[in-house]
Amino acid sequence: MKLTRKQVVVGAAAGAIGAAGIYETVDRLTTAPARPPAAEPGPEQHLLGGQSIVRENGAEVIVPPLHHEIVTATVETEDLRDAKQRLEQALAGLEERYPLTPAGLGVTVAWGLPYFRRYVPAPAQTYLPRDRRAEKPALLDAIRFPSDPADTILEQNDVAVLLRSDRLDHIADAEHALFDKTGLFRVTSIRKGFAGGGFDGGTSLPKQMAVAAGVGGADLIPDTAELFMGFTSTLVANLGPDHIANLETLGLALVPDGYFRGGTHMHLSHIAEDLEAWYLNFAYDERVDTMFRPNLKVKPGTQTVPQGPEEVATSAEVVHDYRTLGTIGHSQAIQPSSRLQEDYLGEDGTLYKKGTAIPQRADFNTLDNPFFWSADPKRDRMSTTPAAGVHFVVFNPTSDDFHRNRMAMDGALPDGTKLKFEPHSRGQGFNSVLTTTHRQNFLVPPRRHRSFPLVERL
Amino acid sequence: MGRLAIPVLAVAIALGAGAASSAAPPKGLVCPNKASWQKLADRIKAPVYCPAWLPDPLVGTIGNRWNNINSVSPDRSYLESFVWQETGGGAAGGELHVNLRGYPGRTTIPICNEINTVNGKTHTVNVPCFADPSGTVRAPGIVATMYTVNQDADQWHVLLAWRHTGGLYTLSEHVAPPLDFDKVVAYLKQELNALVLIKPTA
Repeated sequence: MKLTRKQVVVGAAAGAIGAAGIYETVDRLTTAPARPPAAEPGPEQHLLGGQSIVRENGAEVIVPPLHHEIVTATVETEDLRDAKQRLEQALAGLEERYPLTPAGLGVTVAWGLPYFRRYVPAPAQTYLPRDRRAEKPALLDAIRFPSDPADTILEQNDVAVLLRSDRLDHIADAEHALFDKTGLFRVTSIRKGFAGGGFDGGTSLPKQMAVAAGVGGADLIPDTAELFMGFTSTLVANLGPDHIANLETLGLALVPDGYFRGGTHMHLSHIAEDLEAWYLNFAYDERVDTMFRPNLKVKPGTQTVPQGPEEVATSAEVVHDYRTLGTIGHSQAIQPSSRLQEDYLGEDGTLYKKGTAIPQRADFNTLDNPFFWSADPKRDRMSTTPAAGVHFVVFNPTSDDFHRNRMAMDGALPDGTKLKFEPHSRGQGFNSVLTTTHRQNFLVPPRRHRSFPLVERL
Repeated sequence: MGRLAIPVLAVAIALGAGAASSAAPPKGLVCPNKASWQKLADRIKAPVYCPAWLPDPLVGTIGNRWNNINSVSPDRSYLESFVWQETGGGAAGGELHVNLRGYPGRTTIPICNEINTVNGKTHTVNVPCFADPSGTVRAPGIVATMYTVNQDADQWHVLLAWRHTGGLYTLSEHVAPPLDFDKVVAYLKQELNALVLIKPTA
């Protein structure tokens, strides 16, 4: 049988593209929430408008899109100028069909260092942003952190596309349009998941999906939990405001010729979560201590814990808890690097107040183990048994900024203080029940350069 | 870092729920070796619960090959542990571990010491030996509270606790392959329904 070019290029992923598997269950368990109308798309690809907000325990909480998907790929074309045009046409077509809101579709195209090194090395030397604080490129290869296993896979994809929508059919359409129809890429992995539910007091998606999938410890997840781990993650105060994670906003990155202005950095990882270890070994009070900070008093069973600027921890407080209690909280440890330490007048003219969060997370629950589909199942240690995890997606201004936050999670604080923990130490917070399987860093160009960036500068 | 939980004397934390009713004990259940449990009841001068059913291959006879802990403390509290372990890989390996405890004369949850050693420094925290109550399980004569976070020999176990004649009793089982949480809960319900109350000889 002679294969078409499309079949050769897309390869074995063809059968997986458009398939939803267990995630079709999401649509049977919940309905899409009402969404505000979409705004005009801005220069940033990574911002998704039209997300509704609810109030939980006195805090504003973003109701994220129900369905999420990430497709990673390598470039499989020689004619880059033609590829740039065709991908842009496909992206523009999606924008015509769907508004930029969870009710429509959010598409974020992010490019990895292998793309810049292999296809546009000369302009990349000139135009890739540089981190002024770290005195390094703004886009760095991913690294293994102290609490990562030695076998965490540091990936080398050319591109990652993040798709977000309340509608599975919108995501399937985008997959077909960008990968199947263009034939520009060899898909390396497909990663799927979901978020939300439970804000109306009903049983949340994570609980229902984990129970439906027969995941160990699923019955222990609180009924209305937004995430498998039992706490609300999408508090407005926990997420950076609109432009703060842009390369240029906080002055962290030099953006030569303004080419990548409006762009950002994206870290992508898959993290397996041992729910039985979490819920059988950490009492509720301990889960609060380790997720937020030691001795934090909240009403038993609280899932939404306000983390506004006034609650932000300092490095001194983290060190004090480490020395006196032998433990640190996850949020507490990260805040000295993830929150502004002083008021800052952003490059966009906005006065960002002390304590404001910088990272913009777009992480989502998954039952992939570790992916929905992989081109290299042996390398990726694929299993057909569903498992609780998170596809962690976060936008920071630079790789180094993300690395600082992640190092703080392991006790290496931004002021140079190192709080020594053994890997998977209980005192290190909820790290002890997490296992990172894959990591990669990407650059997210602004919308105007989202398709094969820098090709026109060759 | 190491972690160890050591039970210490109880403090006044009220047991949230869980009490034995005056209903008659289940009929038709046979304690596999009543003499061994009678001896225990007589020794502590309080009722004990004999498991008429444990998951195969465990048999609830004190002193048999599965009974790896048979312990009575000076305060008359007891721990009877039954364990089967197989170190083979895959389906051949696994563990079944059931603990039965009694705390005569006390209805409060005991306190355990949680010891964390970080960077060479030891930190000790008092924590309840049974925590995170999550519902009620009923059996003839027993209304038990389920606890999902437990310490000491009950660490990583799901535990049922109830009161009877001024004492606190617990039944717990380890969540470990080949069992997951749901299966352990199902086993615990079956085991709770198969407890035979053995009273001390007057």
